[in-house]
Amino acid sequence: MARFLAAFVYRPQRTLYLPALAVVAGLLVAGAGLFRPAPRLLTAVPPGYVALVNQKGLLFSDFRAQVEMETGKSFADATPAERRRVLREMINEELLVQRAVVLDLPETTNEVRTNMAIGVNTQVAAAVLAYEPTDAELRAFYDKSRQNYTTPGSMTVQDLVLHVGGYQNADQTLAQAQGDAAEAVYQLRAGASVDYVLEHFGFSRSGRAADGEELDFAAKLHLGDKLYQVASTLRDGEVSDPVVDWDGVHILIMQRHQFPKVADFPAVRDRVYLDFRNAASNHATEENLGLLRRQASILLAPGQSE
Amino acid sequence: MSTKWKWALPLCAAVGIGLAILWLIHVRTERLQHRLLAAAPETVAGDPSLLRFASAQARPLYAQHCAVCHGPHLHGNPAIGAPNLSDAVWLYGTGSLYDIERTLLYGIRSGEDQSHNEADMPAFGLRGILTEGQIRSVVQYLLQLNGRPYDVQAANEGRALYAGTGNCADCHGSDARGNNDYGAPDLTRNVWNSGGDPQALYNAIYSGQHRIMPAWRRSLSLEQIRALASYVYAVSHSS
Repeated sequence: MARFLAAFVYRPQRTLYLPALAVVAGLLVAGAGLFRPAPRLLTAVPPGYVALVNQKGLLFSDFRAQVEMETGKSFADATPAERRRVLREMINEELLVQRAVVLDLPETTNEVRTNMAIGVNTQVAAAVLAYEPTDAELRAFYDKSRQNYTTPGSMTVQDLVLHVGGYQNADQTLAQAQGDAAEAVYQLRAGASVDYVLEHFGFSRSGRAADGEELDFAAKLHLGDKLYQVASTLRDGEVSDPVVDWDGVHILIMQRHQFPKVADFPAVRDRVYLDFRNAASNHATEENLGLLRRQASILLAPGQSE
Repeated sequence: MSTKWKWALPLCAAVGIGLAILWLIHVRTERLQHRLLAAAPETVAGDPSLLRFASAQARPLYAQHCAVCHGPHLHGNPAIGAPNLSDAVWLYGTGSLYDIERTLLYGIRSGEDQSHNEADMPAFGLRGILTEGQIRSVVQYLLQLNGRPYDVQAANEGRALYAGTGNCADCHGSDARGNNDYGAPDLTRNVWNSGGDPQALYNAIYSGQHRIMPAWRRSLSLEQIRALASYVYAVSHSS
């Protein structure tokens, strides 16, 4: 016992043994790691997978879900033939996907590129869409973007035109035509009928305005910018001043004008809600793109800009 | 052997025994790990030793990844609509280990195609589908369904709204027992993800529910996901 305990007596030279031993062991481990062969290919399917396709595992869980979805039965009830068919389909799909990567389809096929971009945006937006806005946030959003909730205006307007130098007025100058038009406007405002003006001043219907009511955008399209600008200021029953356009002097008679109106919040809250969420989703997409751009190295050729 | 080296004998013996024990633990763990993953979910669910092993593996993972939403004891968090995982009431699927594992793999509205993403609870109030008064009536109907004190007249109106304008029955069923295929909860069990008091019910209908859960297959290994699924299964079935 005394000899055994004597072994534990402190000896200065022994303090070197253990570090030296550790150094040798460390070197051995490092050497073993350095010269170890590359990881071997898997020759058996690891647990949790149903197949390996070029070393890429297909999850057993996915296989089971696919079988249940395709057959409409529980996995246990699916026949071996059904399972084999589904597995074959999954392996085929994996092979095609791997081939697509080899063929670099993201580089060459627009549809693949588009879907990849959509996939990324969908994932980015997922977290953002989990947030439900409050009433106050919706109202603030509505106040900020009222112009998006404007109901379209409409008008029923007559457009009379006096062609300069036209019928029975071969020597008529523009100034004379304007004078006649001013008189016609005076008569109309005084209560004269349109037929009277057509008959006595040589006006005709321009054919630009529709017979009945039309929405603002359609009226703009038909009347042209210049006449529409005048028409958009007229109220029900008003007659415009003469307007000179490329085909003569026009008079606009507004029968009924419904001006565009901003819809009240309660009337459009569903649209506001959807727009709010779309805006949040778009914002997330832009933020993500901003981050990607900050992390990316993008070089433009001389003279190019984006 | 000289006396000079005799001190090393007990040391080596102790180290050797320690290494042997560690090796045995490692081999046993590896074996159980393999069994846990290789077995069908139903087999794991029926094997208490595997469930114990999985739970031990999963507890730190749960604390690290899941507890922030579902709480340290799996009781959920009504404030953020995170469901209680210990009560054997499930939004998606039937609560089998396989169903839990699928949810863990692909998440809920995670942006992945295979995630649970079939339906959303619309924001009935925010979108103006139902008025505030109508929502309060539906709440009274829910209270009636769960055998809690309710206002008769409002509950009758709520019942009509439930089946009519509200379109609640489309997802929750005409008997209000829900539909696990698309995560519509059973409204008759008095189990509520976002709180069960009348105001919480009102808020859930008014603002809708669009909760998400990440797809963990991107950040956890298959072994870890199986262990977590087994743990949640074990806890939820322990009572």
